[in-house]
Amino acid sequence: MTSEEYLSSQDYQLAKTVAKPGYKVSVQRLNSWFFEKKALKEINLDVKENTVTALIGPSGCGKTTLIRSLNRMNEMTLGARVEGSVFLDDVDIYDRTVDPVIIKRRIGMVFQKPNPFPTMSIYDNVAAGLRLNGIRDKRLINEIVEESLKGAALWDEVKDELGKPGISLSGGQQQRLCIARALAMQPEVLLMDEPTSALDPIASAKIEELMHDLKRDLTIIIVTHNMQQAARVSDFTAFMYLGELIEYGPTTRIFENPDKELTERYISGKFG
Amino acid sequence: MTRLLDYGLGSLSNLIMKMADLSVRSVDTAIELYEKGDGDKSQLFEWSEQLRVLQDEITELAVELIARYQPVATDLRFIRSCIEISYGFSRFGRYAYDIVDVIGAMGSIAHCDKSAVMEMAKTTTEMIHQSVQALRTRDKTAAEKLYQMDDTVDALYRKHLREAITPSTKKGTNDMVKDPRCYVSTLLILRYLERMADHACYVGDAVNYIVTGSSSPRR
Repeated sequence: MTSEEYLSSQDYQLAKTVAKPGYKVSVQRLNSWFFEKKALKEINLDVKENTVTALIGPSGCGKTTLIRSLNRMNEMTLGARVEGSVFLDDVDIYDRTVDPVIIKRRIGMVFQKPNPFPTMSIYDNVAAGLRLNGIRDKRLINEIVEESLKGAALWDEVKDELGKPGISLSGGQQQRLCIARALAMQPEVLLMDEPTSALDPIASAKIEELMHDLKRDLTIIIVTHNMQQAARVSDFTAFMYLGELIEYGPTTRIFENPDKELTERYISGKFG
Repeated sequence: MTRLLDYGLGSLSNLIMKMADLSVRSVDTAIELYEKGDGDKSQLFEWSEQLRVLQDEITELAVELIARYQPVATDLRFIRSCIEISYGFSRFGRYAYDIVDVIGAMGSIAHCDKSAVMEMAKTTTEMIHQSVQALRTRDKTAAEKLYQMDDTVDALYRKHLREAITPSTKKGTNDMVKDPRCYVSTLLILRYLERMADHACYVGDAVNYIVTGSSSPRR
């Protein structure tokens, strides 16, 4: 499939729906279970386009469950069940007519531990998703690989060794390779589940700077345990506790003057 | 469990209350000395210096706490406010010293009419006491009361200023005409009192910010 064919394909056109003004993702009355255990309770959350939104809260509060619900990744977990809606623009991603593959293409994800495909080169790691989606045009793939690696601020470091295995890179580089892999699919939303928890401060800072640059073109939602990271990188912060969304608002307000006592206690380290 | 930050906040709190007590004592003493016509400024100078040093200590500790612990919410607001309040307390000390310095610089002003200064000093010292009390009790409502009192101080200041430049209209102005020391000292001290009243309001604002998180624009 050529780029022209891809951009005019039904899948792509279906995905490119008209956005509600200002908001990219809208979570409405979302409930989630793992078997009998309720993990998310009546979550409502509107995420503005071209912003970074941080999900914070203690372990087990439902942050990861929520972020994995935003691109139907949770469906891959045994016993997982969801009720409610998640709108991407004006498409309910849980609508029966919606193809989860398209959703995952539009909403990319980066995980806690860098997970490049171990047997693939740097180049192939980025190109893999394109090939899986039927793109065969070598020139187009080259262009997208280069753009994606540039977008992930990795190009200058790897442009002369694209044939080397992805896992030969440092941890921070591997994580940026995974971001490049996600960017290659030209997602509109990027979900990041603790993307720097396995990285040193320098590599973490690079990812944080990258997020700041990427939000010009993308909407980013990040789960982080690092409160200072949430304060640094995000425009909006959502605090979760025991499966509930306790408070959501501009990051400056949440960290300077939260409305809820529970939020104040958590961000101030007064829990327990 | 006590957080590491709490130890630092405790130290900051002790320092700011030490400044509060010292600044109140400075202002009260300065007014007493003025009333007596006593220009011995050594004690006030020492206290003013102590307040300045304490202000520096508070700023340094505040910056250290921010750098080490990245405080947020109430903790952050308290630290930020301590920097601002310590400046206010330092100014109280400096103006108290300035009041006594005026007496020293002018020579004896025992014969001057002190009613204007004493009238304004009554409200200003009350404001200073109330601002310190607001900090002690975290009284978010104090700012409003302080601004009301500040209106009184401003009105008095303007009134006395008008009287000073139209000496024939009021009782007690004869000595001003006769002796420029009375005229100049009264105007200077009225100005210091007016400035102290403003700083008392800012302390009230800072307390309101600690408690509510909303910062009021300077009025």
